[in-house]
Amino acid sequence: MDVFGNLAGGFATALQPVNLVMLLIGVTLGLIIGVLPGLGGTSGVAILLPITVYIAHGSLPGSNETTAIIFLAGIYWGALFGGVITSILFNIPGEPWAVVLLFDGFPLAKRKGRPGLALTSSFVASFIGALTATILLTFFAQPLSQFAQRFGPGELFGVFVLSFATLVGLGAESPWKALCMLAFGLLLATVGFDTITGEQRLTFGQISLVSGIGFVPVTIGLFGIGEILASAEESGIGFVERLSARLGLRDLFETLGALRKRIVLVLTNSVLGFAFGALPGHGATAASFLGYGLARQYSKNKQDFGKGEISGIMGPQSAADAAAVGSLVPMITLGVPGSPTSAVLMAGLFIWGLQPGPLLFERHPEFVWGLIASVYLGHFLTFIICLLTVPLLAMIMRVPYAIITPFIVIISVIGSYSLNNSMLDVFITVIFGLVGYWLRKLKYPLAPLVVALVLGDSAERTFRQGLVTAAGNPLIFAGTPLAAGLLLLGVIFLLLPLIQYIRQRRAAPVTAGVEDPRA
Amino acid sequence: MRPYQVGTAAAIALIAAVAMLDSLATFAPSAGTSPGDVGARFYPFWAGAVVFVSAVAIAFRALTTPQSAEGVFAGRASIAAVLKLVIPLVVAAVSMIWLGIYIVTALYMGLFARWIGKYNWAWVAVISITFPLVIYLGFEIGFRASLPKSVFYTSGLPF
Repeated sequence: MDVFGNLAGGFATALQPVNLVMLLIGVTLGLIIGVLPGLGGTSGVAILLPITVYIAHGSLPGSNETTAIIFLAGIYWGALFGGVITSILFNIPGEPWAVVLLFDGFPLAKRKGRPGLALTSSFVASFIGALTATILLTFFAQPLSQFAQRFGPGELFGVFVLSFATLVGLGAESPWKALCMLAFGLLLATVGFDTITGEQRLTFGQISLVSGIGFVPVTIGLFGIGEILASAEESGIGFVERLSARLGLRDLFETLGALRKRIVLVLTNSVLGFAFGALPGHGATAASFLGYGLARQYSKNKQDFGKGEISGIMGPQSAADAAAVGSLVPMITLGVPGSPTSAVLMAGLFIWGLQPGPLLFERHPEFVWGLIASVYLGHFLTFIICLLTVPLLAMIMRVPYAIITPFIVIISVIGSYSLNNSMLDVFITVIFGLVGYWLRKLKYPLAPLVVALVLGDSAERTFRQGLVTAAGNPLIFAGTPLAAGLLLLGVIFLLLPLIQYIRQRRAAPVTAGVEDPRA
Repeated sequence: MRPYQVGTAAAIALIAAVAMLDSLATFAPSAGTSPGDVGARFYPFWAGAVVFVSAVAIAFRALTTPQSAEGVFAGRASIAAVLKLVIPLVVAAVSMIWLGIYIVTALYMGLFARWIGKYNWAWVAVISITFPLVIYLGFEIGFRASLPKSVFYTSGLPF
């Protein structure tokens, strides 16, 4: 069947009443999660992941795995839009990818007195970015998965190495810390039964550890509880500014006029954001900064940046949303998550009994095409909801801290418990909440840990199966031009921080007394 | 910042060393079950080794590069804000073994409403009853999930 036929089938799936209702609930929850400063998209998706087990197994009339992924992905789309509202109106980023909107979004709202225009510009750019990326996803995902079906252990191992290397080489934090967290995630993934020999590893005689350390309780702890603790510390600071906004037709028309002048920027950033998001391990946050940098670089009004320039809103927003959609590409086609949030989505696939990767299109076409169609619908719904309900969404910020914080903690605890009915998982969540909070304070990146934890088992199995196939000859991992190329690219990414360090040292010595952010 | 960075890196290196020691069997001649297989201990040993080396490098960098003079916390107020959340969280998680999710939710939500939110007792009662009820309706009735009950459950208490 051709792409259009498949997509029509996907829309038929996504438009089923139960799927549509769960998509609507998902994007609404995502918007709320996005607006709440103490809760991010990744943690929102992680906390609600256990609930999807019931959805996937038919607790709701007509629901299945497709309903579950539509619901979870809907939260992601909602959070992408919701995070910007607090950045623009309150000068507080609801999400990490909305931090960049503090530069121009808030000044446009406050200094120039145009909160409506700032919000509409952001929503329109997000929508166009997501739409462009979804069109690219529609046409490129299936051919890529068909190509990936020819991958042997060498190529698959190369993909894993490349994913891990980009997390270390392209991360914003210290490469040593990224490497440490990555290897720590791989180490945690080995706890419990070895899936090949059945041996117990790193259990230290504890029966409770035999089944391993679950991805979900760790992620809920690191992101859910960890973020709550971080925001508890910051809540004493209070809100700097509060603006209210009601979006009118004037804002919309003015935005469309501004968009006409910046359409090349928005479309270019959308395509680049998509490509950046499709790189394993990177999501919307990195793309938003890339988008801002590009918008400023190619602008004729560089001096207006930081003072409420619309390009400083549209540029990052289109790139961020496109990257979020792009992060689905490696997940669907290669079984490698494109971002921490898609790592959580991918964990969902494992839990529901699906195997993410090249065969997903072939074995579960209704699932993949239903998901792709829901990306179109999800962004459309989010866009409309945002335009209509900004004042309502802004009011969520006024829900008292004394109620919302303990409630999120309780939902996190229930989420980690309900997956395996295990109190051990609750303790793992609490411990990793404290660990995540501490590591975050010391600027350790958590994304490599999460991605390594979800990929660790598959990466190890691929590595060992490859060696067994080649009777122990490690050259199998560079046995074909593609495998060798992927491995080489991985090594280059891994060495990138070292190359940058040497170049910086040659250019100028480190200034004494100033902390090196990458140290 | 330096002592915190070095201390944390040392703790990570210690965990890695324990994992490596537990996986030393990877060097035994009997490692692996088929020709070419490196065995079950290979991966944890080398993952541990990378963690160990990078933790040592982090500690070394923290000792040899300029660090900010600020501590990890912004001040006593920020430590207090975090502890206000951490202590009840740990107590709630442990007491859930005996009290189950519903009693813990009622007490935890009520505590925050009274202590942090300064609500009057009538509102505290409303919050303490409403949230466990919402959780019961959502999870036990809606999703048919079984959540932990208290030790009184066997004596006839419904939660």
